[in-house]
Amino acid sequence: MDEVIFLEVLEADEVHARHRLDRFPATVGRGYSNDVILDDPKVSASHLLIERTEDGRLMLRDTGSTNGTFRVEPWARLAELELTDDARVAVGDTVLRFRGRSHVVEDTRVTAIPVAPQVRPFERPFAFPVVLAVTVLTYLLREYLTNYQKTDWGSLALAVVAPVFVCFVWSGLWSVASKVARRVFHFGAHGAIGSLGLLGLLVIPLLIGVITYSLGLGAWVRWLYLATYLGWMGFILFWHLRYVTRTEPQRLITVLGLVLVCFGALTQADSLLGEEDFSSTIDFDRTLLPPAFQWVPSKPVDTFFEDTQKLQEDVDKLAKEKS
Amino acid sequence: MLTLLLLAALAQAPVPAADALPGDPPDAGTPAVVPPLPVATLPPATHELFERLKGRVAQVRIIERRSGTRSSIGSAFFVSTEGHALTNYHVISDIVHHPEDYTAELVREGKESESIPVRVVDVDVVHDLAVIQQDAPVTDWFELAPKEPPQGTRLYAMGNPHDLGTTIVEGTYNGLVQDALYDKVHFSGAINPGMSGGPTVTSDGRVVGVNVSTMGNQLGFLVPVVHARELVERAREVKESSPSALLAVVGSQLLDNQQRITERLLAAPLPTQKLGDYHVPGRWSPFLKCWGDTPHEPENPYTITSYQCSSEEDIYLSGAHRTGVVAYDHAYVSSDQLGSLRFASLYEATFSNDPGGVDATKEDVTNFRCRVEFVKVGGIPTRTALCLRAYKKFPGLYDLALRAATLNASTSGVQTSLTLAGFSADNARAIARRYLEALAWTK
Repeated sequence: MDEVIFLEVLEADEVHARHRLDRFPATVGRGYSNDVILDDPKVSASHLLIERTEDGRLMLRDTGSTNGTFRVEPWARLAELELTDDARVAVGDTVLRFRGRSHVVEDTRVTAIPVAPQVRPFERPFAFPVVLAVTVLTYLLREYLTNYQKTDWGSLALAVVAPVFVCFVWSGLWSVASKVARRVFHFGAHGAIGSLGLLGLLVIPLLIGVITYSLGLGAWVRWLYLATYLGWMGFILFWHLRYVTRTEPQRLITVLGLVLVCFGALTQADSLLGEEDFSSTIDFDRTLLPPAFQWVPSKPVDTFFEDTQKLQEDVDKLAKEKS
Repeated sequence: MLTLLLLAALAQAPVPAADALPGDPPDAGTPAVVPPLPVATLPPATHELFERLKGRVAQVRIIERRSGTRSSIGSAFFVSTEGHALTNYHVISDIVHHPEDYTAELVREGKESESIPVRVVDVDVVHDLAVIQQDAPVTDWFELAPKEPPQGTRLYAMGNPHDLGTTIVEGTYNGLVQDALYDKVHFSGAINPGMSGGPTVTSDGRVVGVNVSTMGNQLGFLVPVVHARELVERAREVKESSPSALLAVVGSQLLDNQQRITERLLAAPLPTQKLGDYHVPGRWSPFLKCWGDTPHEPENPYTITSYQCSSEEDIYLSGAHRTGVVAYDHAYVSSDQLGSLRFASLYEATFSNDPGGVDATKEDVTNFRCRVEFVKVGGIPTRTALCLRAYKKFPGLYDLALRAATLNASTSGVQTSLTLAGFSADNARAIARRYLEALAWTK
């Protein structure tokens, strides 16, 4: 063995503490007279002695400990052991590893992006305030346009306060996660991502609603809704997670994709299983927009009533299957 | 609004029949109704009549099999020596729908302990009549009057209100209700829950009507005797009747009835009513009652004028299922102050407001299926939805809902809604089509 060796205290293969030993004999134990002190109540006050023999080898000896010393692989109690590189012994609940200076470490891992790190869009200065402002303005506009009564200042104020509050709470939670996992809050980035997510929650149904109405699209639009919502959720969660974990983007996308597909399937479970609750209400898309939004021609009355023939078949089928 | 006179066990609070019609002024101007006299001063005729007739009236009890006790009560009266008795369909509807859960029995005045099991022989669901029969022959029974009495004739309604024992109530005959979809006699006298299915007789003891419903305040309604006579004659021919056959009978009567209403509607021209800048379907047939109003709320930056027509009558199928309804309403929505986008959200909100539909439960009907499209009506674009649901127990019958909103102007428009309950799909579509095509723009 080398002149200098390192004693490493392991916790589940991770190095918890590392001690450089260059003068021998060296002692290990719980007592303060030792060269290496181990705070393990099952370790004796004076537990191990490491000394160099005349022919230069390093020997580890148990100095009469209460609970003994063990070789890890294969497990065996020992009184003394010649130290080799990477040798492991267990004392009490602690595992010790010995390595010399000549220990060969693994090759350096090559990073996926060998270019200079770019400034991510959400980290640009003022990204959070700008996105939040756009979101709040959109909510405010929506509130104004959908209120056909006398101006209601209370609900207008709520349209400002509610998105801001939600954004701050949401990004606060993600920031805490970032701080725990990566020691940086990234509050601005999380705030910008969160505000963008909130903006999508309002804009997506609005846009799809307008397109559905204007082009007279059919009932399959609900799948478009589902796909867009899931895609949007995936996008937002992906960026939040980029600031929380160090996982490779490819892997993150795969995992998120799987999770969202499962989530989407669960939300559609009852309609996929053909379950439908009884309801005596009339269920159709009530959207009405100004005349300029009608982009497809109106059908003649004849065609409309011919199209409704199919409804009869549909409800007849329902009546049969449930009775 | 109409209170049916079936007395259900769970609703035995003595109030229901006294429910005043909401919005109706108290009938202060019509003191024509004879105030009930104290028993001691009853004219001899009435009390003699009661003595003579009380044995012919009985109480019908609907017995729920598992609890072994009555779930609802009504009245009935004998009409033949073979033990046929008339009552209301709504008294015995539980037996038609759930023969495995309910049975019926008759209890006569003074013989509380002797209940006689009866079976349902035939029904007339449209006029709310049913014939039940006991096995033992009957010696004492009512004769049905051969013709309608003149208006003002003194009549006597009999029955068992609120399970208080057989009673007799004086009142007057006021003729058939005008412009009614389903024939009814207006009887000015107190009819109360539990008297359903009891007879109303002239002073010589002939039946002129069957007690059926009340609007409170001495406004009672009877089924005209002519329908009772037809049903009794038909019931005498019936040898065997099974519950499933009864359900089929109800189904075919409903089909006949909707055919009659459809022919009546399609034969008449559909008058239009001016509403804002539009023409909308007006009072199509005399049986429809139309009302209109514009709520004046100066704070609102818009006005909504509504116009609605309804048959205001329905056919009782079961406690939770009504049918035989024609109703529609229009709303003219306009605003000088709102921009086109804000008007669109108002227009969408009113379009999402559905008028109260027709009662039905999961075991009666399917869910609605709808189709919504841009449809060109009378040269103007509209957003039109047509919805249909099928009856589960009566194949071939459907409820239809039609909703349409005009889209030719950016800050005004008319929305219309048609409800048809209990029609064949083809008839419902034909009526809906005629209705939709009556919509027009006046400019």
